[in-house]
This record gives sequence, structure tokens and C-alpha cells, in this order.
Amino acid sequence: MAEAACAAMAGKMEPRSWGKAVLLTVPMAVWSVLMAMGGPLRHQDRAVQIASGLTAAFLTGLFLMMMKTASTYRWRRWYFVALGVLFPVGFIHMVMVLRGSMGIPIEEMIAGRTPFCFLPIPLLILPAAFTKTLVFPGSILPGSGMAGGGMAMMVALWLALTLVMGKGWCSYACFFGGIEEGMAAVPKKAQWKKIDPRLRLVPWAVLLAMVLLSLALFEPAYCMWLCPFKAVSEYVAARNMVGLVQNVIFVMLFAALVIVLPILTKKRTQCTFLCPFGAFQSIFNKTSVFDIKIDQTRCSPCVLCQKSCPTMSLSDESIKKGETLLSCMKCGACVDACPKGAAVWHIKGTDVAVKPERARLMFLYAAWAMAAMFGGSIITEGLATILHQVL
Amino acid sequence: MKWLRSKLGYAGAGLTLALAMLTPFLLMGLFAQGFTRLGLHVDEIYSGGPTVRTIQENGYTIEVHRAVHPHLWQTEKAFVELEWKPVSALPERVTELVDIDGDGQADVRVSFDVPKDAKTPLRVNVEALNPRYEAMRGVGKPKYSELIVRVDDAILVRVPLAKGEAEQK
Repeated sequence: MAEAACAAMAGKMEPRSWGKAVLLTVPMAVWSVLMAMGGPLRHQDRAVQIASGLTAAFLTGLFLMMMKTASTYRWRRWYFVALGVLFPVGFIHMVMVLRGSMGIPIEEMIAGRTPFCFLPIPLLILPAAFTKTLVFPGSILPGSGMAGGGMAMMVALWLALTLVMGKGWCSYACFFGGIEEGMAAVPKKAQWKKIDPRLRLVPWAVLLAMVLLSLALFEPAYCMWLCPFKAVSEYVAARNMVGLVQNVIFVMLFAALVIVLPILTKKRTQCTFLCPFGAFQSIFNKTSVFDIKIDQTRCSPCVLCQKSCPTMSLSDESIKKGETLLSCMKCGACVDACPKGAAVWHIKGTDVAVKPERARLMFLYAAWAMAAMFGGSIITEGLATILHQVL
Repeated sequence: MKWLRSKLGYAGAGLTLALAMLTPFLLMGLFAQGFTRLGLHVDEIYSGGPTVRTIQENGYTIEVHRAVHPHLWQTEKAFVELEWKPVSALPERVTELVDIDGDGQADVRVSFDVPKDAKTPLRVNVEALNPRYEAMRGVGKPKYSELIVRVDDAILVRVPLAKGEAEQK
């Protein structure tokens, strides 16, 4: 009761009763089970069945806590870190079983069996537009081995999730961001607090450079030279000095941007200062109906929202305007951090701070449904890999 | 006007929620179909280009692919892919005169060993009988445009085109 009264006085959403929270969670529980039944639960393998049951329970439990506490970020983070940690577990295991190595041999690229993740999508657009050519050694349709669902399925998935969430992709679907979010959560306080805000523009420069290079060289330049996540997925087998240099770059970028800097800054540094896909995805915040606003009538301004943002998507100017920057990935950290309830979920076209909880609920149902569908299957696979070793 | 904008906002949010529910059952399939209908293809530097001719040999075939030319500043050479299959029907050592352009004259002499263990690295020698093609000696798989690799039940040899020929395209 005291907690509710304090929250109400501060203008924040009050915690719900367990009854209401459970009622609001029932649709998501049904959805999670439905998603599990669509794939893994039909599987004969006991480890996969247990893993999918655990995943459905985990996702439902987190959603219940979101409904109960009216807090988004801290519960979403559990899901996101699990996604980031379990993706490499499942993926590397699969690569080792099918190929025996994390290095992609040239034979596999010629056979079109390079798994296609979402990161090269912006790099493929110009070569495809000018020459109808996809500059990636994968297959368009589902294929054998590591080809998986093919490029068509990944592009379709990305498009659907982008229509639903915009840049929210980076908070609810990206299976790489969870590692750095986990690392950023390790220290209580940031060691490096002063970061030049101009560094926020680097991903746009990387995006432009990589798009032009991919067109000129007809290869996915980011995947070839800069992707830090090659260190925890797969990489071009080092057949020569160039390959060796590429792999050294991958490992160094991973160590710096995904491990060390997130611990020092408490920010998602790879997403904030490098990721060209994240910059590209920012454009789709313009098409998404959901965003986060700062209610000027309540804002002190204490800049706690700015400090809490993992991607530096709030500036002094943007707070004055009552907006986040284009790079906002709708993680909800600023909403959770604001002691006055001034940072609020918002539906475009509606008045700011009028029924923000309604906006939050509508966004969360859509985003969590996507998370259960896409992220859920990845978490299940990672868990099943571990369970196979245990059972 | 404000009322209308608000209603449109909520309608958009409702539509987004509906899209989310439809994604696994309908949207993903529709979008994937739409993508495949764009008529895009994987870069031939990787895929090797379409087959233009099949040469029948004793129990196996040699597929001759269309010449692949690099785009803009692509670092690979132009090449022609030759594909021997099935591997199980190949002799222990293949030495073959291959007529690539189909004019009745042999263009290259290709020779390589076919080890029983699929993981054993392959090496190929190519003697150019036609100046359009480059010779290769003891080549493994250094580049997409000059290599020998085993892919499933086939052995692929990529023979680079001589510089002048590649530039004629």
C-alpha cells in the first residue's frame, strides 16, 4: 500500500494487484504456449520439450512481473540477456555438429550454406536494386545444413518485426545485444561517465561507408571486416593473411565493444558507437506508432533518464523538446528511471501522458508476442543444447 | 483534428497489434513469398553461374557453367566453373581435356586426384590449351575465382579467364 501511495504521489503508475496482473498476463501465456506448440513442443526430443516449456514459463513469468510492477526495463533485460547468452550456445553447438568448426569453409559458401542473420540487410539493398544480385553467400530459399530458413525467411521476419516494433527490434529481437546489456548490468556504477555525444553519429558513418563499400566491392563489407559478433558465431575460415587479420579485428572489437566498454560505461557501446544495422533500424522509428515522450509538465529535469539510457538516445535538447532521439530502441530504461513519471510510453497522435499505461500495454503485447515467437525459439534452442549435455 | 489524430493513433496501435498476431501464421509467409518473387539471385561469384552445357563421360558428367565476371571493384578474377559429378563415379585420378566453349576443340587439360576421404584437401593442375584461360599449378582454394573444392557429391574447378578475355566482357 505504501509503495502504491508513493508511486501515485510521484506521478508514476501504481503497481497492480496480483489478480489484475494475472488477468493481463493470460493472453500472453496462451500465446507463449501456442508459439512453443507450433515448433518445439511437437518435437519428440525430451530436452527440446523441457526447454520449450521452460522458455514459455520464463517469458510468461517476466510478462507477469511487467504487469505487476509497471516496470518494463528490468524484466525485459532478463529476457534479453538470456537471448544474448543462449544464442551463441545453440548456434555454436549447431555449427560444430554440422561443420566441426566455427570457421566457414569456402565450400560451404559456394554451396550457399552460410547462415544469414539480419545485420547485412542494409548492405544488400543497393547491389540488389542495381543488379538484382544478393551479395551474400547464402541461399534465398530454405536449404540444407547451416542454410537454415534462407534469406527470404530472415528478411520476412525482419520486415514483420520492424513493422511492429520499429527500432524496438534492438531491444526485443536482436540476438546479439543481450551480451553487452548483460555486461553493462554487471557494475553498480559507470567508471567512464563523460562520453562525447558526437560519438552517437559514428554508426551512421559506418552505415554509409559499409553500404557504399558493399556496392563497390560486391561483398557484405561489414560481415567481412567489422562485425564483432563473428567472435561468438562464425567467421570466414582464415585461409590466408587477410582472413587472419579479419578474425583478429572481430575478436578485438568484440572484446572492446561488447565486454570491456559496456562494463566501464554501463552503455550498450557496440549498439551506440558502431552498429550500422542499428542506425538503419532507427529510420523505422519514424514508421512505428509507438514512441517514448517526456512530459514537460512533470519533468524536473534531473536527467536520470539520460543517464539510464543504454544507447545515449536522450540529449539535453531532446529532453527539452519532450522527445527521445531517433536511435531510441524502446527498452523502457528511461521510463523506469524517471522518479516523476515524466518519461512515458506514447502512441503517436495522442496527447502526451494521457493514459501512458495504455500505450505501454499495447506496445508490450505486440513486442512481447514477437519476442516469444522469435527470441523464444532461440532461447529454447540454447536451453535444449545445455539440457542435452545434462540429461 | 486533435480528436481524429488521436483516433488514428489508436487505430495504428491496434493494427500493429493485429500485425504482431498475424506474423507467425500469415505475414512471414507472405513477405518471404514476396521476397522470392523479386527475382533476386545470389552473386555468381559464390554460386558459380548457371550450367550451360553438360559433357557426358564414362559414368559421370562434367557440367560447364557460364563465365562469371566480377562487378565493379570486386577483387576476384573472371572465371568458368567446371563441375565433375558424382564423385563416387570418378576414377582415382582425373585427367581430362575439356571443351569449355563447345567449339569441338579442347580448351584446358584438367588433372586432379580424387581421394577417398572427403576431408582430404584437393589440388588441381590446369593446362591452358586456349589463351582465353589461365593455367593453374597445384592450386587448392585460395580464391573464389581459382579453386578446386568438393561440394556434396561434386568436385568443382574454377578456371580463371585470361586478363584480356575477362576485360572483353
